[in-house]
Amino acid sequence: MVNLTIDDKQVTAPKTATIYEAAKLNGINIPILCHDNKLKPFGACRMCLVEVEQMKGRQIPACTTPVTEGMIILTSTPDIVKARKMVLELLLLNHPIDCPVCDKGGDCDLQNLTYEYKVSANRFTDEKFHHEIDYNNPLIERDMNRCVLCGKCARICDEIVSFGALTFIDRGIETKIGCEFEGALNCEFCGSCVSVCPVGSLLARPFKFKSRFWALTKQKTVCGYCGTGCNLTLGVKDNKVLTTIYDDNQGFHKGQLCVRGRFGYQFINSDKRLAKPLIRRGNSLVESSWDEALELVAGRLKSGNVAALATPRLANEEIVLFKKLMELSGSKDYDHSAGYAHSALTEGFAKSLGATASPSTILDIQKSDLLLVVKTDAYETHPVVGFEINMAVKNKGVKLYILSDKRGKLARLPDAKTLLHTPGNEIALINAVAKTILDEKLAGASAGSVEGFVELEKGLSAFTPELVSAQCGLTADEIKQLARAYAAAEKPLIIFPVGLAYPGHNAEMASALANLAILTGKLGVEGSGILCMSEKNNSQGAVDMGFYPEAGAKNAIQILDGCASGAVKTLFVAGENPLVSYPDQTRVRNALEKVDFLVVSDLFLTETAAMADVVLPACSFAEKEGTFTAIDRRVQHFKPAIQKIGQSRSDFEIFSTLITLLGGRAPVSPAAVFAEIAAGVPGYESMNYATLGETGQFAKVAIKPVFNSVSLTASKAESGKMALVTGSALYHCGTLSQYGEGPMHVCPEGYLEISRTDAANMKVGNDDLLTVTSASGSAKLKARVSPRMPVGVVFSPYHFSDSSVNQFWSGAAVTWVTLAK
Amino acid sequence: MNPITPIMNGLKITLSHMFKKPITLQYPDERPKVAERFRGLHALNVSHDKAKCVACYLCPTVCPAKCITVEAGEDQNHDKFAAKYEIDMLRCIFCGYCVEACPVDAIRMTKEFELANYRREDFVYSKERLLEKK
Repeated sequence: MVNLTIDDKQVTAPKTATIYEAAKLNGINIPILCHDNKLKPFGACRMCLVEVEQMKGRQIPACTTPVTEGMIILTSTPDIVKARKMVLELLLLNHPIDCPVCDKGGDCDLQNLTYEYKVSANRFTDEKFHHEIDYNNPLIERDMNRCVLCGKCARICDEIVSFGALTFIDRGIETKIGCEFEGALNCEFCGSCVSVCPVGSLLARPFKFKSRFWALTKQKTVCGYCGTGCNLTLGVKDNKVLTTIYDDNQGFHKGQLCVRGRFGYQFINSDKRLAKPLIRRGNSLVESSWDEALELVAGRLKSGNVAALATPRLANEEIVLFKKLMELSGSKDYDHSAGYAHSALTEGFAKSLGATASPSTILDIQKSDLLLVVKTDAYETHPVVGFEINMAVKNKGVKLYILSDKRGKLARLPDAKTLLHTPGNEIALINAVAKTILDEKLAGASAGSVEGFVELEKGLSAFTPELVSAQCGLTADEIKQLARAYAAAEKPLIIFPVGLAYPGHNAEMASALANLAILTGKLGVEGSGILCMSEKNNSQGAVDMGFYPEAGAKNAIQILDGCASGAVKTLFVAGENPLVSYPDQTRVRNALEKVDFLVVSDLFLTETAAMADVVLPACSFAEKEGTFTAIDRRVQHFKPAIQKIGQSRSDFEIFSTLITLLGGRAPVSPAAVFAEIAAGVPGYESMNYATLGETGQFAKVAIKPVFNSVSLTASKAESGKMALVTGSALYHCGTLSQYGEGPMHVCPEGYLEISRTDAANMKVGNDDLLTVTSASGSAKLKARVSPRMPVGVVFSPYHFSDSSVNQFWSGAAVTWVTLAK
Repeated sequence: MNPITPIMNGLKITLSHMFKKPITLQYPDERPKVAERFRGLHALNVSHDKAKCVACYLCPTVCPAKCITVEAGEDQNHDKFAAKYEIDMLRCIFCGYCVEACPVDAIRMTKEFELANYRREDFVYSKERLLEKK
């Protein structure tokens, strides 16, 4: 810490702070246009000029000058105010004064400063710019005439998003922000540039002309898409969520969001939302009253042979109630995420670490010195975690190793080492790394005393790097180098995504990775360890609440089989859309058709809901309250932003009414249920619903490492066939994002990514329709020729109802398919 | 004082009015002369056959009675215009702030004061009714 004086006030600030940061830290506001919390100092706008006595009264920029001991700083002398006014005059010289029609009005830094400094006239005259305005993009509108060249958009796109879509082009007075060769914007559409733009140069088109900033009610909440648990501010007017608002002080990610968080909110107020309960009469679903629908459901629940599938998008409190409801109806058969997407936690970590949660947190990424990421898809499934990886690698020089069956965005980071293996061989590869560590005596001192060490040594004997490398299409040296780097790193962190589209990321993989961490003793120290990234916003919560079958009870796949065989008479599906998201559509359809009585509670009339006997309209996260648990066990509280749409009810209300109808006692509020959770769930002990807040609290994870030797061989390659791997698209999460307009603008349908070589061999171009056939079925998908795919491997995302992947994907990690034009 | 004096004084005033112009207007046969700065019914100014309003939302923001509803739209040239512009005359207090706030001189107040109507909904003036008549 250094001591300095700012405006006659004695203050202290960290050694690394700039004058601007030191002033802000001590409640002194210095005006600025080109600064953002997350970005490196740049010094473009010259608004933050201050005087430092030691520098003989010269005016210097506060945002790029580091503090030194004993500095005496003045931030607003008459001279400084005069200089700032001049800066504003010069900026306004070329800036069109079209505030009445500019959507930024009211939230514009330039407007606010002009007002604050009373710049009402301009001494200078010059012509305004006449740049062409880009209206073509469905998400981001670019009007370079309003630009003040602060460079924040270009810097955030480079420093954090690592895409580099925008940059300064041309020179001198002609300088502007543009894309390569002045082309159209074709990027990830995360909207980070829009969020930091201090003027109206970059605007969110979905929100264009919808409302003024000051007319919006701002409600802080937690994003309802992936498991990262980003904090979000919703802008609400007339009971409609109109936009998301940027707040650079919010959450660990400092307001940074991905495309679905920022542009995918439209599902909340979608016209397709269900407003009334529906009951099947004959062949059609007819609107009915809540009382009638719930009486009917309660009657079926009383009659036994009930099973339940829930989406891990429900709040913790709702999941607890759902479990209670199932217990009341005498059933132990309930599950979520197709029964396998959570197995890395519920089986893998449970065995290897003695806990069903990751011991590391997202915050560890910045504190680590080596990241081992399994699959480049980690970026697509959890983009904001991806940004953290970008920043760690680019700013902190953290080493990045990737095991993946295809290249991707992460593989392009500086010095990233990608071990590109043939699909399905992850576990063999991880075991080979462990084997090298054992053979080269790189294991930690305490590894030998951990339970299961002897079995592990025996189990790994077959996984020599030489054997595995031949099988994976790598060289033994690559594997050995990774093993040495991992063992040598002080704080290595393993990151791997799990989810419906990643059946290969299962319990075995979690154990294999845990073995690696236990073997080297890189566990339990801040910055190191292992982080399992579960897919949905409350996947970790669903696991913590125990919403998965105990020993002897049916898991999701067995429940569906039970429906088909008649063992399950009533199936209650809360929020899931198994017909699209679960593997093997034929099997799921058969089960849903055969089951006696199907109850679905959902926001929309999904494909699954359309088959139901009773459909209950549920409400979205923006209309209810509760808690979500993020991938690193961050428990966050969210509040309603709008009134419930139509007659929809929260799942909490639905389950509590049903519990009452079944003769049980339903808790009165989510707060009461959370008190039960805090009393009963390990790690949640010290938590209090009232004080949790939207930044949340970490639930502690107590681990007891045990070696759990695993071996799993990849399915044999079938000659003449391509290896299909499924996964997540960057713009989507589950099947919910199909109802968000933003994601659908940029990625409206399913596709098949195919390597350039294969495409050339088959004479296939972009958007050509390909028939994909596997042992379990076939479907037509558009081709997308991509440089990231290795030869013989194709990739398809699973989110889409139209031509869904599960028509030919039966749940194998690698599906062997033939392609035909 | 003589008790007759006040009565006489009163009668004097009454008598004097017989030689003055009457104050009462025989409305509606006679029309009042409305002052130059009278604040009556609003009108939306027109220029180039289009309402000048750019839907900047300053009038609904400044309106103390919250009687103005604006919804912006985007036209073919991607410009902003008022897709909906409504004033609820039952709520309006005729303060004229909307005129003062307008940055593009799109709204003014006319001398029109005959605003009576039979139905409540008729008091909500839509954009078409507010557009200035030529």
